Amino acid sequence: MAKKLMKGCEAIAEAAIQAGCRFFFGYPITPQNDIPEYMSRRMPQVGGCFLQAESELAAINMVYGAGGAGARAMTSSSSPGISLKQEGISTCAAAEVPCVIVNMMRGGPGLGNIQASQGDYFQATKGGGHGDYHCVVYAPSSIQETCDLMPKAFDTADKYRTPVIILADGLIGQMMEPVELKMNDNPTMPDKPWACQGWDPKGDRPRAVINSLYIETEVLDDLMTRLNARYDEIRKNEVMVETYKAEGAEFMLCAYGTVARVCKAAVRILAEKGVKCGLVRPITLWPFPSKEVHDVIAQDSVQGALTVEISNGQMVEDIRLAVNGEKPVEFMGKGGSIIPTAEEIAERVMKIMRRA
Amino acid sequence: MKEYWVLTGSFGSGKSELVLNLALEKAKKGPCTVVDLDVINPYFRVSERGDVLSPAGVELIMPPFALEKIEIMSLSARVYSAFAPGEGTVIFDIGGDDVGSIALGQYKPRFAQIPPDKVKVLFVVNPLRPTAADLESALDTLYKIQYVSRMDITGIVNNANLAGETELSHLLQGYELVKALSRETGIPVWGTCGTPEVLRSFEEYAKAHDLDPAYIGKYQPIEIMMHRSWDKFLKEGL
Repeated sequence: MAKKLMKGCEAIAEAAIQAGCRFFFGYPITPQNDIPEYMSRRMPQVGGCFLQAESELAAINMVYGAGGAGARAMTSSSSPGISLKQEGISTCAAAEVPCVIVNMMRGGPGLGNIQASQGDYFQATKGGGHGDYHCVVYAPSSIQETCDLMPKAFDTADKYRTPVIILADGLIGQMMEPVELKMNDNPTMPDKPWACQGWDPKGDRPRAVINSLYIETEVLDDLMTRLNARYDEIRKNEVMVETYKAEGAEFMLCAYGTVARVCKAAVRILAEKGVKCGLVRPITLWPFPSKEVHDVIAQDSVQGALTVEISNGQMVEDIRLAVNGEKPVEFMGKGGSIIPTAEEIAERVMKIMRRA
Repeated sequence: MKEYWVLTGSFGSGKSELVLNLALEKAKKGPCTVVDLDVINPYFRVSERGDVLSPAGVELIMPPFALEKIEIMSLSARVYSAFAPGEGTVIFDIGGDDVGSIALGQYKPRFAQIPPDKVKVLFVVNPLRPTAADLESALDTLYKIQYVSRMDITGIVNNANLAGETELSHLLQGYELVKALSRETGIPVWGTCGTPEVLRSFEEYAKAHDLDPAYIGKYQPIEIMMHRSWDKFLKEGL
């Protein structure tokens, strides 16, 4: 399809539809309102279902229902709304219901503000809801990449029967950029014998049950063993990471999402000043690309690393765990949705390298 | 007597960009006021470009809290001052789609007192936007805007663009759409917008291929002041 000028939220919604999503349940909150808005127009055109739920909690539980019946289902919200959905996400994880949840992060904690933020990294990657589970977390850094990741998100959700989170920020949601959508009128859907689609007593399929309550310790342990084996598979197969000018770099920047784009500009500024700086950008935040991050930062040529986030420091903990003390890792970032400029990042790198 | 311009259109069609360009042009000839009536989108709104409008002497009437990064759907009582007798130009920037045009409806009694030749209501079209890509959806939006605003659209604007990646082919796509839209509705095409370079290539093409001037209207050059491409964002922020 030829390029269109699209707002991030619209592009995400259309890409989800192209990936076969036919059930969207949502509740308004800025800066993701354009997703339900777009879905409310488009879903009827493709024979899908858009429903504005009475609350975030209702929306995620509708996703649980549709996903449990085998449909590709999605909900979206922004930080405070995602907090409200956590019980449902934990339930989806326990009941092995595939689904996609979009979080257009805004400033927090509490109601925070409606500007772009990256304060939900911990929530997305370290659980969020209760219990021993993980969600696959994709962190796109442009509208085009967000579109490209949507089919992947639904495929991963189905393949591993797990909730998948798209962790973007308000900037991606609200910006307009030219994007090319891969139109696919007839996406192939995987067979889901486990789904509750009506039981035929004369058929050979066992009765499907979607459940997250396991009273017996051994039975719950069976589930956890099964989930953990699956998480190991995800860690093995699904890590995505981008490195930029990392080979032979003297210094490494680490960032995800839109901040990584600012960092790329900082890398170019530093190159003009004669500093060989590279960037490592995790695309999957869980599974975290620990090995890849370690390998680029621990290379001999690198003096140190700087993690930049629109938060007071969250991903930096995983970066430090990955580097394991082999090189110094510093942090730069602020809450309050203040996005550092490329010049500020470059200046900070120069300072750390004692060149300024 | 004041001249009134009201810019409507689909969400993201480029209304605010045209508002800014028209305002700077009009301010050279006399008093000019821009009224931001957008109550549906707290981001990327014309009120943010006070830095461009104020030095040019353009008066800006914006919703209370417009720059506070919160969503309060209220309009300033100052909007009524735009209807006070006087000279110059008043340009209304209306929120996108029919939902955005609801805010316009309440001023219908005021507009009704102004001679029709002093009011231009433009419908800005950008076929590169997914919600206004074809005749059917553009017509749908146009009629809905007329319905909720209770105003008649008097001109259609070809503002086909793909932000920084706009080419001649996009304006030609826009030409076909506004032509079809104009034929269907009987509303004339007011003009065709573009950055000077793209607009020039369109003008050359139009002359070489005998495009109907009735569906081109005025050639309106646009300087990009509103849209933040990523590079511009990096340099200047939001």
